[in-house]
Amino acid sequence: MIKLKHVNKYFYQGEPREVHALKSIELEIERGEFSVINGPSGCGKTTLLNAIGVLDEITSGEIWLEEREIAHLSPREKTEIRLTQMGFVFQAYNLVPVLTVAENIGFVMRLQGYPAEEIRQRVHELASILQIEEKLDTLPSLLSGGQQQRVAVARAVASKPKIILADEPTANLDSKNSIKLMEMMKRLNEKEGITILFSSHDAYVVENARRVIMLDDGALV
Amino acid sequence: MVGLALKNLSFYKGRSITTFLLTFFSAYFFIVYVAFMDGSHSSMLKNALDVYTGSMQIYQKEYREEGGYDYLINDTQKVFNLLDNTRGIRAYSARVETYGIASSGERSAAMMLTGVDFEKEAKLSELKKALKEGVYDSKGACLYIGSELGKKLQVKIGDEVSFVGSAIDYSFVAELFKVCGTFKTGMYDFDNQSAFMNRDYFDEIFLSRSSASYIVANVNEMEENDRIAEEVAQKLPEDLRVYTWQELMKSMVELMKIDSLFGYISMSLFFLVIFFVVMIYGFINVSTRIREFGVLKSIGLSDRAIDRLLLDEIIILTLAALALAVPLGAYTAYYFEIHPIVIPGMSEMYKQYGVVSDTVPTRFSPLTIGWNAALVFALNLLSILYPMLYVRSFTPVEAMRHV
Repeated sequence: MIKLKHVNKYFYQGEPREVHALKSIELEIERGEFSVINGPSGCGKTTLLNAIGVLDEITSGEIWLEEREIAHLSPREKTEIRLTQMGFVFQAYNLVPVLTVAENIGFVMRLQGYPAEEIRQRVHELASILQIEEKLDTLPSLLSGGQQQRVAVARAVASKPKIILADEPTANLDSKNSIKLMEMMKRLNEKEGITILFSSHDAYVVENARRVIMLDDGALV
Repeated sequence: MVGLALKNLSFYKGRSITTFLLTFFSAYFFIVYVAFMDGSHSSMLKNALDVYTGSMQIYQKEYREEGGYDYLINDTQKVFNLLDNTRGIRAYSARVETYGIASSGERSAAMMLTGVDFEKEAKLSELKKALKEGVYDSKGACLYIGSELGKKLQVKIGDEVSFVGSAIDYSFVAELFKVCGTFKTGMYDFDNQSAFMNRDYFDEIFLSRSSASYIVANVNEMEENDRIAEEVAQKLPEDLRVYTWQELMKSMVELMKIDSLFGYISMSLFFLVIFFVVMIYGFINVSTRIREFGVLKSIGLSDRAIDRLLLDEIIILTLAALALAVPLGAYTAYYFEIHPIVIPGMSEMYKQYGVVSDTVPTRFSPLTIGWNAALVFALNLLSILYPMLYVRSFTPVEAMRHV
């Protein structure tokens, strides 16, 4: 489903402080996989995830999603790919501060043009699964870290994307919330068939993943 | 996008209130300022034209270049008939001018003496209203003298003024006049050099019979003046020519243009400041929200949609400010058009600029207010362009990492 061919990423290329963040990455991720990119801090996990999610430019190589090379698309086409095929969960939650929980969860569906009633039903369904029903009219700033992360997950899965990319989703959560989040992601993976790719160095996350992709100093191990 | 824009505006209150107030005050002051500027111009023009010049004048072709008695209009009746048959002409009158030296006691001054038909002038010009002292329409050797010329000659009502000049046949003319009135039009040069007298007596002593230096006319609607002047010009004999007020008062037209130019330059500077303040506030606001835009981009909001969001925000703020500023500015302009501000002594202070009244005139024009508001609207839209380009310059990751 996702294929990376000889992907390189440099920061500050040509400058004295040049960093070779991704070194000739060759990787294939199958549909429905539940994988985690593991490695020490600064090894390039987030950079790799951002590259797969076409959130950032790569220096060279190719990234294929299904039958389409996506790394060299126009910004507009990349936005379209992210909107229609991907869901994102960030370490810092990254919810839209001016929108309520319900609006945040339904935001991507609204961008995709779903009818209001369908959005409402889906928001309630996810809120029920994630146990944040009573917070639907609350602004994100009034939620705890765990609750915000659950909203972020709900937003990522609401429109049923083909793949969810989650960057260190448990980094700001306590162990109880981390376990809850992992169980929920597993359930989504099993029930909805969504391909899930984490970046994490959390031992619990690594233990629960079906596949662990090891990264060290920008290279696959 | 409008819904999200409204939420953003309510969430980032500081920027919203500042932009709203800046837009409101700039639009309000712009409308009022332009109303006062237009008011003073139309008042200057109205004063100048109504007092004496009229909206058009008819001359022998060479008169304005060559001057003198050789280029008088002799068949005035023919022109009168023509004007009578032209729709839109409110009033007309023939005037005949001569130049000479006026003296009283030991004082002398150059003087332009004009023979006028008092009855027709009353309908045409405001000479009657300009009379400060004396009785309008006296007969015989009666002189109506400009207030400044009167001061120069140190004469008052009942005093004698001798005048030396030449008749139409270039014979020598010397006449002793009695001052029957003084007038003040507010046009300093005019009041400093001019005098009037009854046309019949003028014809008698200057032998001008019914000829005229020129015929002056006024129209009912100033907007129609050029068209009517064109119509009159087509009907006139070949040796006569029509001059519109724009040609007759070139210096005043230029003065008004220059005054408008300086007015608009000062307003432009004012707007430039407002524009940059609105842009800086917009930019600061956008800068503090770069992370948020990064998130929106990452979850699938296109650059174009973000542009729309920023545009919607500024449009909502601008329309809200204009919705308040336009009616308020229009009301202020309308109010001061009906109840002009009075500054006692202003006409005396600015008499050389043609200011004849102590009131500060204002012109209420819905069309002008419309373009004033449109300009403020366009400037505000323009002010968001740079912030929009700034947001576009970030990839989603760069934006989310932005501090």
